[in-house]
Amino acid sequence: MLLLKDKSKSLNVDNYTVIIPSICVGNAAQLACDLLIASKKLKRIGSLSHAALIPVFGPSAYQHEPNECVASCELYESKEDKLLVVQFRAPFISKQTKRFQHEFVTLLQAARRVIILSGSFGFERRLIDGSPWAYRATDKFKADHATQLGAEALVKWKEHTGEHIFGGGNALQLYKAFEDAQVPSMLLFRYLLEGDNSTDATLIVRELNELCGDFLQLRVDGDAGDGSFKLTMPSSWNLLFGNDVTELLF
Amino acid sequence: MSCPGFGEVNIPSSRAFWDDCEEDEFDSIEPASQLHLNFNDGEEEAPIASELLVLVEGPQITEFCNSSLLQDAKHICSIPAKGSSLHLNPTKAHLVATLEEDFNNSGEVTELLLPYAQLAKKVLTITVKPKMDYKSEDINRYRDEVAIVHSIGGTAADKTISKLEAPNFISGVAAGVASWRQQMELPFNSYVVYVDKLPIDGVTAGPLIKLLQQSGVHCSDRYVPKPKPSSYLYS
Repeated sequence: MLLLKDKSKSLNVDNYTVIIPSICVGNAAQLACDLLIASKKLKRIGSLSHAALIPVFGPSAYQHEPNECVASCELYESKEDKLLVVQFRAPFISKQTKRFQHEFVTLLQAARRVIILSGSFGFERRLIDGSPWAYRATDKFKADHATQLGAEALVKWKEHTGEHIFGGGNALQLYKAFEDAQVPSMLLFRYLLEGDNSTDATLIVRELNELCGDFLQLRVDGDAGDGSFKLTMPSSWNLLFGNDVTELLF
Repeated sequence: MSCPGFGEVNIPSSRAFWDDCEEDEFDSIEPASQLHLNFNDGEEEAPIASELLVLVEGPQITEFCNSSLLQDAKHICSIPAKGSSLHLNPTKAHLVATLEEDFNNSGEVTELLLPYAQLAKKVLTITVKPKMDYKSEDINRYRDEVAIVHSIGGTAADKTISKLEAPNFISGVAAGVASWRQQMELPFNSYVVYVDKLPIDGVTAGPLIKLLQQSGVHCSDRYVPKPKPSSYLYS
């Protein structure tokens, strides 16, 4: 069920770039989307509810929108950049996920391009000195980004050809669903391990910005030309590893 | 003497699916059959309009609800999530849903209860969670409390109840209904009660009973759990 704040019944994603996290190892892709939303101060425009999603409700996750409440699947938008970032806050119920995926792809079918972020278990990386990044892209996406993806000297990522991305959740299935719907799509993932994955999230955003700097617009105005940009950590990252140890223990 | 698991590679499972599905199993998963509310024989199946829809959700909450909340209430239907059910208090036109925590079905159960939430004038949701789930920079402040009560949204009846702060949140059917009412801009109050002990006992039930009574819900003044025949030692 699509619930938009402006009460409209459909979502207009014409000419939009959509970024979707998969629920992956270390929740790195969701953390990367958190960074994007907080750094670009994206506006919450609505949410999605579905039987495949465990409902979630709570205070705002971001300091730039303190009066909003969080839900299990949220939509954040930047109108100027024609950017829509989806955020998931709960795992899926597998028996319902295919139906959700179908409805989700139908909802976003008109998008200009879709980028799915994910992660895979670090021990699945077979070549230790190889790139920690891998991607899959539809032919249309590759053609549209031939300068970035076509130049071997520039692309540090390995093209994934396997049947599964272990630890990557439903990323590959979602990518295939967008591919079947002929939406120009890319799946980008990093090999990583569980732990403090905030660094992985930063690296995912940085990597994405290398490819998509034109619409992410994360570079600081008047920077020194070193490509540095400022990321804002959302307030929901507070106490990421739980409370302080209770004094009663000592 | 052996040490089970010693030396074995422990492959972590996927985070993506709550119901323990792995990435290589996902393609072969059969879609779930649709859930339904199970009505009593002869009971009207159309959603009932109410003055107040109360949802109390948490692990092992049924016994407390049955003995404290549902004494004069009429059973309307069973909710397909463990021992959950929907009841009507005809004198006050209050609908009371007691919901055992069951995240596998919570999204679908929310969809089943939304027609009731749509017809209700007001909605009150109370989620009971263990105290160890509560995150605060000042956690030592709460160490002696048997229960921590916070409001999440809506116009809280008791102004002394502080708002829940990130990164805390609630999940489940109560969360789904509260989220829907909030987005539809309909009146609701949502609370979370972090309790010291689950299932709740006579002491930890105190703040929960107080919250229910302050919200205008018919509730007994005290809760005495049924004595258990065995200890928890081997349970």
